[in-house]
Amino acid sequence: MPVRVRQERSALLADSSLKGTDFCRAYTALADSWLAGLLGSGAPGVALVAVGGYGRGDLCPGSDLDVLLIHTRKDRDLAEVKQLADQIWYPLWDAGLKLGHGVRSVKEALSLAHDDLDTATSLLDTRLIAGDAAIAADLQERATAAWRNKSSRWLSALGQGVDARHAKSGEVAFLLEPDLKDGRGGLRDVHSLRWAEAARRILLDDDHQALAAASDVLLSVRIELHRRTGKAIDRLLLQEQDGVAAALGDTDADALMARLAAAARTVAWTSDDTWDRIRSSLRGPIGRAAARDRSLGPGLVLRDGRVELAPDADPAHDGALVLRAAAAAATAGTALSRSALNRLAAEAVGPGDPWPDEARPALVSLLGAGRAAIPVLEALDQKGLLSRVLPEWEKVSCKPQRNAYHRFTVDRHLCEAAANAAALVGRVSRPDLLLIGTWLHDLGKGFTPELGTDHSLTGVAVVGPLVTRMGFPPADVAVLVALVRHHLLLADLATRRDVEDPATAAAVATALGDPITVELLHALTEADSLATGPAAWSPWKGGLVSDLVGHAVATLTGGERPRPQGVFPSEDHLDLVTQAREAGEVVVRGDGSNVTIAAHDRAGLFAKVAGTLTLHGLDVLSARAWSGDEGQALEEFHVQPVFGDLPDWADVEADLRRVLEGRLSLEASVADRARRYADSPRPPGSVSAVPARTSVIVDNRASATSTVVEVRAPDRLGTLYRITRALADLHLDIRHAKVATLGHEVVDSFYVADAHGAKIADGDHAREIERAVLVELSRI
Amino acid sequence: MKLVTAIIKPFKVDDVKEALRALGVQGMTVSEVQGFGRQRGHTEVYRGAEYTVDFVPKVKVEVVADDADAAAIIDAIVTAARTEKIGDGKVWLTPVENLVRIRTGEMGHDAL
Repeated sequence: MPVRVRQERSALLADSSLKGTDFCRAYTALADSWLAGLLGSGAPGVALVAVGGYGRGDLCPGSDLDVLLIHTRKDRDLAEVKQLADQIWYPLWDAGLKLGHGVRSVKEALSLAHDDLDTATSLLDTRLIAGDAAIAADLQERATAAWRNKSSRWLSALGQGVDARHAKSGEVAFLLEPDLKDGRGGLRDVHSLRWAEAARRILLDDDHQALAAASDVLLSVRIELHRRTGKAIDRLLLQEQDGVAAALGDTDADALMARLAAAARTVAWTSDDTWDRIRSSLRGPIGRAAARDRSLGPGLVLRDGRVELAPDADPAHDGALVLRAAAAAATAGTALSRSALNRLAAEAVGPGDPWPDEARPALVSLLGAGRAAIPVLEALDQKGLLSRVLPEWEKVSCKPQRNAYHRFTVDRHLCEAAANAAALVGRVSRPDLLLIGTWLHDLGKGFTPELGTDHSLTGVAVVGPLVTRMGFPPADVAVLVALVRHHLLLADLATRRDVEDPATAAAVATALGDPITVELLHALTEADSLATGPAAWSPWKGGLVSDLVGHAVATLTGGERPRPQGVFPSEDHLDLVTQAREAGEVVVRGDGSNVTIAAHDRAGLFAKVAGTLTLHGLDVLSARAWSGDEGQALEEFHVQPVFGDLPDWADVEADLRRVLEGRLSLEASVADRARRYADSPRPPGSVSAVPARTSVIVDNRASATSTVVEVRAPDRLGTLYRITRALADLHLDIRHAKVATLGHEVVDSFYVADAHGAKIADGDHAREIERAVLVELSRI
Repeated sequence: MKLVTAIIKPFKVDDVKEALRALGVQGMTVSEVQGFGRQRGHTEVYRGAEYTVDFVPKVKVEVVADDADAAAIIDAIVTAARTEKIGDGKVWLTPVENLVRIRTGEMGHDAL
């Protein structure tokens, strides 16, 4: 028997034509046949019953077979049942199956279910496999009745379980490696809704079909995941996504993840909506808001705390109704009722071209509601209403970004960014342009860019006509287009160029043209970065962007440039230089996360300091260097520890001395450290579906006095050390450096000059720099 | 040299000890442990909630032996500890790089 079970199971797994529910059905039938065969003629008063996922017929390759042997014997009379149990379980164990087994009387089963939520829900999905049908029916009937009788208690426990699970497992739609079962929008949410439905009729008619379709998608992905890994895992790991996509006939992993995100969002939205109703019904009529309707403008009323369409509403002709209804719901901090959504979905027309007068203010007030707008927009999207208002939205809906830098799909990122912008409207003179510009800034990501352009330029072509349709005057259209076109400008320049260099501020001023646009882009940049992911924004980056904006505005208004944050080197710095000279050796002074090093100038000093900081577990965020006429050198680094706390600066100084005296080999130590950390778990924020590429750009236009060398490379230990070593090898003087980490890659910019203090004017020299850096980086 | 580690049912520890002494094994280490395997600590006629995982008390036996003796030791443990019921346990074999008798400082084979 065990051999047969193994063979039949392998044959089933090998049949790649069986997908989704077809696989579940086939595997369930096969498992039923094994168990029925093992029970044989059985014994009177005994039934084999499938419970849980097996009972539902949802068997995935790695699922447990959850089976109960139900009997009507007294304890003293159990010998025969025991023998039956052995006869059934052992062959399955020997075949390597995972069995969730139990031997119980109906009464025992019910009493266990009385105290334990998981057991209670598992008994809602019982199914007779073989044996006495009357016992199985008795168990099912009584388990369901017990569940209904205690529905208030069970529903509130189930609801708490749902919340706890979401908090622990995150969202299926937005995580890079989603948990198909326990995540928000995953299979457990579907099951929980069905269990809730078994207690009280709570799902609405159109929910059933939508849930079934979404659950099929989740289930088919889970089956392929189990099939490919041979394990019962539920987290769809990055390295499995291509294979699962191919097995399911998706063109690529992006298509699979978009489909999965759409299914998960349907589940999550239905789940939220249903649990909201369950909780409101658990609170009872007293807890509900006043029963009287309150008018919210033409055609809209607030009823039972939800926005409802009034009888005189005219969705078929009122092109602004969808947006007005959504704005009313978001500003009241509530939701559109299901009947309002369904009626809008069935009858509403789009806003047309141009939009009616009330439509644009409604959109602005919807987005201006901040976070409250997100669930309302999600509801519109679920019912296809968002793309009716904005056909372009279809293209970014559920579009995955699949790297750790971006937390959300494109459409959700835009809504999150707009919600962040709503908190910043006080900082700008045109809140409407900020909100709409932020909401649309990445729309270009949904469209194929023309050769040699990026999503910002594609976005311009899409957003221009769109905002014209909304009814913005040409001058405002120009501002919105500029915001979309340049939405990455401030963040890029602030982190990769010297913000104190007039050429940098001039670049911003030329691109944006007027102070109002600069101010808008400042707020947009912050809102966008905050919505992107944990690595995209920090006080450090915020400070740089603010400085750059200050300089750019000053350039545009002809006003005085804000005073630089401090002259470099300052008096204190020069004291340190003197101290180092008198002592005749290197001096290291740490002040919080700033560390200043004064030493006698020598070739490769910057690389040696960078390497020593790496050895002490420090990431460099920015650095500047100065060298005096008499061979003194001063370097200031802004650092942050990779793990834990800042080191003892005296240790750093001691190591740096040993390095400079040639008593400690940086090359060997950095390599050692890299090897030691190579096997450590990948740090969060460094995974991506697309591996980082290495590139070097030599730019002579970004600064008046230096050449900017910009290096993009994977974020690994010792990257900065390697790059600066290559620069030192070519006798380049590093005056200023910036390091921006974008999730799994870094963008390091160096302001350099040649040995005579001049820019790198000749092309051969520039190519040699590129070659040297690439070769050095290939050694990591 | 090899380390033989066995997880067995507690009431089988005397049988295993006798079987190993009969083979001429000079010493062994025995500890009380708990754990679970594929059946998650459930017995054949399991009457608790199926989703709970129970730790079951077991005994761990460790013996260091010459490479040549390892196979016989495993055989003896498997034969002595077998009840043919679930939860009989497992035996595994690990290479041992070196061994020192603390009192004398003897190493390797001499320390056995």
